Amino acid sequence: MGVGRDALDRLQRTLLATVLLLVLTLVALAGPNSAEAAPSRDRLVLGLPLEPPNLDPTSGAAAAVDEVVYGNVFEGLTRLTQNGAVAPALAESWEAAPDGLSWTFHLRRGVAFSDGSPFDASVAKFSLDRIAAEGSTNAQKALFAPIQNAEVVDAATIRIRLSRPMATLPYVLAWGDAVMVSPRSAATNAVNPIGTGPFTLQGWQRGSQLTLVRRASYWGAAPRLNTVVFRFISDPTAAFAAVSAGDVDAFPNYPAPENVAQFQRDPRFRVVVGASEGKVILGVNNTTAPFNDVRVRRALSYAVDRDALIQGAMFGFGQPIGSHYSRQAPGYVDLTGVYPHDPAKARQLLAEAGYPNGIDVILRLPPRPYARRSGEVLASQLAQAGIRVKIENLEWAQWLDQVFKRRQFDLTIVEHVEPMDYDIYGRKDYYFGYDSPAFDALLAQVQAAPDEPTRLRLLGDLQRRISDDAVNAFLFQSSRIGVWKADLNGLWINGPIAANDITGAYWTGAGATGAAATERTGAGLPWGWISLVAGAALLAFVGLRFGAAWLLKKLGGHALTLLAATVVIFLLLQVVPGDPASYMMGLNASPDSIAALRQQMGLEGSGVERYFAWLGDLLTGRFGTSYTYQVPVGGLIAERLAVSAPLALMATVLSLAVALPIGVMAASRRGTAIDTGLIGVTQVGVALPNFWIAMLLILLFSVNLGWFSAGGFPGWSQGFWPAFKALILPAVALAAPQAAILARVLRTALLDTMNEDYVRTARAKGLSVNQALWRHALRNAWIPVLTILGLQFPFLLAGGIIIENVFSLPGLGRLVFQAITQRDLIVVQGVVVVLVFAVVLVSFLIDLAYLFADPRLRGRRA
Amino acid sequence: MTDAPAPIALAAKSRGPWPLSLVVGGALTVVVVLTALIAFVWTPYDVEAVDIAAKLAAPSSTHPFGTDHFGRDVLSMIMVGAQNSLAVALVAVGIGAGIGVPLGLTAAARGGWVDELVMRGNDLIFAFPALLLAVMITAVMGPGAINAIIAIGLFNIPVFTRVARGAAMGLWTREYILAARTAGKSKALISVQHILPNLMSLLVVQAAIQFAVGIVAEAGLSYVGLGAQPPMPSWGRMLAEAQTMIGFAPWLAVMPGLAIFITVLGLSLTGDGLRDLFDPRVRRER
Repeated sequence: MGVGRDALDRLQRTLLATVLLLVLTLVALAGPNSAEAAPSRDRLVLGLPLEPPNLDPTSGAAAAVDEVVYGNVFEGLTRLTQNGAVAPALAESWEAAPDGLSWTFHLRRGVAFSDGSPFDASVAKFSLDRIAAEGSTNAQKALFAPIQNAEVVDAATIRIRLSRPMATLPYVLAWGDAVMVSPRSAATNAVNPIGTGPFTLQGWQRGSQLTLVRRASYWGAAPRLNTVVFRFISDPTAAFAAVSAGDVDAFPNYPAPENVAQFQRDPRFRVVVGASEGKVILGVNNTTAPFNDVRVRRALSYAVDRDALIQGAMFGFGQPIGSHYSRQAPGYVDLTGVYPHDPAKARQLLAEAGYPNGIDVILRLPPRPYARRSGEVLASQLAQAGIRVKIENLEWAQWLDQVFKRRQFDLTIVEHVEPMDYDIYGRKDYYFGYDSPAFDALLAQVQAAPDEPTRLRLLGDLQRRISDDAVNAFLFQSSRIGVWKADLNGLWINGPIAANDITGAYWTGAGATGAAATERTGAGLPWGWISLVAGAALLAFVGLRFGAAWLLKKLGGHALTLLAATVVIFLLLQVVPGDPASYMMGLNASPDSIAALRQQMGLEGSGVERYFAWLGDLLTGRFGTSYTYQVPVGGLIAERLAVSAPLALMATVLSLAVALPIGVMAASRRGTAIDTGLIGVTQVGVALPNFWIAMLLILLFSVNLGWFSAGGFPGWSQGFWPAFKALILPAVALAAPQAAILARVLRTALLDTMNEDYVRTARAKGLSVNQALWRHALRNAWIPVLTILGLQFPFLLAGGIIIENVFSLPGLGRLVFQAITQRDLIVVQGVVVVLVFAVVLVSFLIDLAYLFADPRLRGRRA
Repeated sequence: MTDAPAPIALAAKSRGPWPLSLVVGGALTVVVVLTALIAFVWTPYDVEAVDIAAKLAAPSSTHPFGTDHFGRDVLSMIMVGAQNSLAVALVAVGIGAGIGVPLGLTAAARGGWVDELVMRGNDLIFAFPALLLAVMITAVMGPGAINAIIAIGLFNIPVFTRVARGAAMGLWTREYILAARTAGKSKALISVQHILPNLMSLLVVQAAIQFAVGIVAEAGLSYVGLGAQPPMPSWGRMLAEAQTMIGFAPWLAVMPGLAIFITVLGLSLTGDGLRDLFDPRVRRER
């Protein structure tokens, strides 16, 4: 018996040591390596409010894709300058045939894609054919419909034949949807973009940032910058903090107009206000009552006070428009005076149309701040004209499904960012449902216009028709507010299309510096294998010490919970409305393209089949492929875990470190002023919402004192300390309420144990209160503390979701939040499973810890 | 022993029979509830009145808490926001207790597979991080106060189940319960007539705590845009909107945050006070 037990003991100790050693190795390997790279003058960090779902502008594109790649990675036959003019790009020159039915483009020679493949007329033909092909997911397929075919004349000449004259062909070819792609790489452009532009993709940390680097093999003049980092910051507070702290060098489309004034007063920055093509309109459902009556629609326009709206919702940044046309577009006619603000006239029109007591309608809004704020201001304005509005705030996917696709709305507010998109008024199936033969006739005339003056005149008529029919109420054109560091030049001021062309950007002045290096390079450790080995060792240890029966029972229970959770997750997400394909393609995409994308994404098939397929994949460790990012979900989750797990750990350690002394002190001095004071402190701690604490922390330590960065995460490969530093403020915000709760629980638990007989005995034997506390009470007080820790862990993860958003940390919480709004179901399923698994794992570890903490449970050797 | 040993267990010092935490907490809670009730009949300004000319005014005699970026009076918005927060949290507690307590009692009474099932269900809900499920629920059903109530109520259920079950299981071993069983009373009747009344104090304390938790949860959901929708003011949403203007209009962030803080503080102090009041050990010492 003695020998057997010794051997068993040794084995247990060895296993425990193995586990500890592995854990220590992990921590050491993650330790410091290189120092932070120095800031440099050929680097630029740009802030963008929206992250692109992928990097192919020709396939199911959202505007955010062009914001990153247009002009930088991809080029078309023609390009737009920042003033909206058409300029040569891959085509040096072009001319139209006299009948207007064909155009000949003369292409540049000696151009190569970034992977070395050549660009010539056959490649141009490939790109153009691809747009209109059967099964193409190009969002602007309808726009290029007049292109019948592209004919290769010779290696440097291509002729495009049209089914009808199209004076705007060179303009349309400058759009991001018509960039040139190589047959070798077109299929994988979404994740590995290969274009003819001066930059290539160096790295992309989903949810955080993307890096472009200059390539030597570019055909044209080299850009002055070598590296550009796009950081995705959607939260207006984080954007403000990032700019103030210098974490980004420029925010070309700054999302928070309310605090622009602060930057205008600060000599470190330059505020640049340019024109954008964004036309914000009050969209009206023309197909149902009451708005199928033009008098009611006109009443709507009379009820709107554009100037007050711009002041209130956009803080003065914006210009009124009277029709669906931007002020800088050629042929603009000022129609803002057609319906001046006149609530009395509005009421009169309503009465004429048969609504003497006004009308009650529903206003459905997408999530962007311009829409939400405008909605609130308009509701108040319209009420004065007897139009009583009920506001419903929707997520993008819901908005696309209900308003855009199914036309279930009365009113909505949305911004149209495509330039010269008046043709949507000729599409009967478009969400506002305008159907006018007179307009259609005008549209055909514009397309067929023989010369520019006539075309411009006709465009004016087009605007007047739209305004006369009051199809929608035209609110304002958004300003493109850019906040730049003062010594930065060459970025686009205007936004004629969605793009951030950085080829012309450069730094000036002595001491001009870009923001510090934040790239992430290199592969990580084989975390999976290490965890697996450590886990197996731990289980073996437990089984030996406490008996296999107990272990199996516990594991079985937890496994069952996990399985039930997967069913719940799957069911819940099947009910979620909204179509990922529509969401990704944006407002102007054609139904064909959307259908093709759905097919591509595998959204067809029965629920049961899909559940078991998914479950099977899960069990073999495959989490599927993300709809929006088109990369394996497992990889996404691993990247994000590298942020969320340390954050949770730091918050837990911090909360324990704070709770322990407070709880002990309060218990040992029960009834005194110190006790009451400490209890008071903990009460306060619990009552403070952690996102409020986060806001205040950023303000104090980041914006005012500058001790910490305002957000973002540099990655562990840059060194342990910078990454750790980025997690300090978030961990503090997360830990504060937890620490308060733990302190109270610890205090109560200690007081309870102090009442136990064995403690009275210890005191009777002569131990002081403190000695009794530390030697006896604390050991037993661990149990309820552990329980609370285990119970609090899911709340920690949940709190992490909000905190990650405020500090723009690329963690699991933000990933799942974004995935839900994007209806990327595979990602949501994967992340929730991982989170639930984490909770279950922690429960199991707590169960284990009980065994160690409570000697009464230990006598269960096999 | 020359040093007088510190007393091992003492009630918190208080002037009268009521614990201090109950007095302070109760007072704060009453203030908040009164504010919400008053808001039904009167607020200094109409919360839906947009007045651009008066926007972003600092606190003054005309606007004690200042105005927001649309010129709306912050004090009025906080008063009406109190209605929203209290209503959501209260109904959520109702759902949690209304479903959770019977479940817990049944689990304790029946034991066996029923108990197992209820505990597994509890574990299942506890396994989901609260906000995540709430976000998914509101994504499915749409944002709004009603759906926020359902989401928060859902998370109150396992808490009450656990509390009720734990305490009930302890009571089932008592002699008078065994006597009632022997006399032939059904388990259900025993649960209602004998077990439940003895749990009331425990449940009331838990309800106060969950009420406080609910206020914070509602603020969190509103902060990410999933709670009460405009034009109904909500404290969480006011905080979210105030973020970008905190540099030049700090009252917009301070006031709603204070409101949340005071309400939660009041409720959790009340809960603690009630616990002290009902705890027999503490009572004995007095």
